[in-house]
Amino acid sequence: MSRKRTYRSKVRILADMMRSIQGEGEIGAGPTKILYAANLSHDRLTQYIDELLRKELVTELQDGDNRTYLLTDKGREFLREYVKIERFSLAFGIDV
Amino acid sequence: MQEQVITIIRIDLLLEILAGIIAMVISHYANTAFRLTGQKKLSDLSTGFMVLSASMFSRVIGTLYFFVLYPGMGEMTPEATSLMEVVIVAYGVLKIMAYAVFVYATHPGRRPQRPQMEVMMLMALPFLISPSLEMIAIIILLIIVIQTLVNYASVRNRYAFFVLLGFVLLLLGHISGIYVQEVTSSYFVYLLSQVFQFLGLIAFLVMLRQAGKDE
Repeated sequence: MSRKRTYRSKVRILADMMRSIQGEGEIGAGPTKILYAANLSHDRLTQYIDELLRKELVTELQDGDNRTYLLTDKGREFLREYVKIERFSLAFGIDV
Repeated sequence: MQEQVITIIRIDLLLEILAGIIAMVISHYANTAFRLTGQKKLSDLSTGFMVLSASMFSRVIGTLYFFVLYPGMGEMTPEATSLMEVVIVAYGVLKIMAYAVFVYATHPGRRPQRPQMEVMMLMALPFLISPSLEMIAIIILLIIVIQTLVNYASVRNRYAFFVLLGFVLLLLGHISGIYVQEVTSSYFVYLLSQVFQFLGLIAFLVMLRQAGKDE
């Protein structure tokens, strides 16, 4: 039986973006990679990346026209906590 | 015989205190999760465990007062007997309130209508003044067990299993409780009901510990 997800909270979208960045390891993830992994429109991606940068959860590296994003220590800590909370919530059948 | 009863009351109180502390810890964690995610159901879950914890501590205080402190002051007056009955009913009602909140919090689907719970609570009102509160608790816990079973079938992980196990053990505790009331007055079965409840809370604690581990 698969779990149907019809709605994602903002914090879940941010976590999905951060997971996609973390998945790329030390090299970081570009906007397109994050956009596909987190299943977002371009406008929403820009909006949420701004938020991640503002909260210092990710850092931006600019190389010419290429932009890549890396998790900060604060971002890694946030994601670790989020994963634990997600496990706890899903155990009770609560989507976060 | 009296020594045996006192020993059972002591064990009962110890298990109830520990279960109350565990319920408080889970309530705190659910509240932390709510503050991070803003998911209202986590706040409800936190409230449920807080009310459950309050019911357990109210029972400990009530038992201490009536069975440990009162015998030292002589015969119980009719007022004290009435007060004891109020404490017993309050304990049962608090537990039922906690379980009703759990039904709402573990209800599948993203946005269950809040009035549904109010209607359910209103339907339960005629029973709340009945002495057989255990039966109400059993019915509500059955709903929770079904919901957590559906959730376990859906996610199939050990965390959901421990939650299911926890609620099943709480249900067994209440079934043993009603068995003591209606069928037998065995101290062993009474203690067994407390052990089931305690193990139920332990299952939640194990889940919390496992979910909190880094992988």
